[in-house]
Amino acid sequence: MTAARDGDSAAYRQFLAEAAQRIRARLARKIGADNELEDLVQECLIALHEKRHTLDPGRPVSPWMYAIANYKLIDHWRKRGRSIIDLDDDADMAVAADTLAETDIETLLDKLPEAQAQAIRMTQIEGLTNREAGDRVGVGVSAMKLRVHRGMARLRAIAEEDRI
Amino acid sequence: MIDTDSLIDRLAQEGARPRHARRGFALPLLAAIAVCVVGVTAALDGAFDPVALHGVMPLTIKWWFSASLALLSASALWLLGQPGRKTRVALWSMMIPFVFVGGLLLMELAKVGPVLNGPTWRTCLLAMAIMSPIGFAGAILATRYLAPTDLRRAGGIAGLFGGAVAMTVYSPYCPERGALFLTVFYCLPILAMAGLGWLLGPRLLRW
Repeated sequence: MTAARDGDSAAYRQFLAEAAQRIRARLARKIGADNELEDLVQECLIALHEKRHTLDPGRPVSPWMYAIANYKLIDHWRKRGRSIIDLDDDADMAVAADTLAETDIETLLDKLPEAQAQAIRMTQIEGLTNREAGDRVGVGVSAMKLRVHRGMARLRAIAEEDRI
Repeated sequence: MIDTDSLIDRLAQEGARPRHARRGFALPLLAAIAVCVVGVTAALDGAFDPVALHGVMPLTIKWWFSASLALLSASALWLLGQPGRKTRVALWSMMIPFVFVGGLLLMELAKVGPVLNGPTWRTCLLAMAIMSPIGFAGAILATRYLAPTDLRRAGGIAGLFGGAVAMTVYSPYCPERGALFLTVFYCLPILAMAGLGWLLGPRLLRW
């Protein structure tokens, strides 16, 4: 890194390549080797580059590099936590009609957490809107949509497992 | 997204020569202080008049507290802005000015009881309310130049810096004495600004 700071771009390239390897290995243990891993490694490299002035020349590189990688990882998790789930009621209804037509729905619902099963009973069987169902159990519309969505996704998975 | 090797090539071409960290950090802090000084000089008359009335000790005490807090919080921000640095000592050291004021307050309460004299408290609060956010904004800009990884903590300390700057700049105009006054009309607003900074830190400092 010292040579890189003095303007040696080949040394800097080598530093970045080693950093990418180490960060990839560290992050792979935390998020697995999926598609997001490489995006995150690249984000870390850009951050290392843009914030390189925060590394004092006399200090070891590793704690600095891993602290930045860790920060980017947490930021990645934060963004994923906030990512908008596609709450598509029509799609959920379609799944119920196609996939679950020949199945004992109550037996399936017993396999879900009670809150999700209750949400599906109210909205998909009784025909309440998300708002009406939410009002009945004292949760907001978004929370009710989320319960229905998660429940339907779980039902879909169960139905597919049974079919296999 | 481009592949990682291409990204590395591109970054390497830009070079590794770093920007000036100290200058980039210090400039916003100094600019915020300058804005506060110019603003308060334009708005108020009678800087250091209280020294002629009550002697140098009340101002010395106020400045000892506020200037040391400003310096300590700036140092802590500097460290918090450098990933991987140890910050525990710097963070704990910021208790020192508050312990100092706490000691003064206990002595005063033991001697004269809880007497809150201070007819200029409105001006004091107004000055703190106007200047603390300016100092805070300077600290946020300074910290954003670095790479803070604990955004809440950095935001809270930026708030402490803002409050400490406001107090340092306004103190020469403040005729009030007494540790209880100092606690209620200076320390509490500073802590309030720190609390606000703690809340806003993740929004303002994310990079």
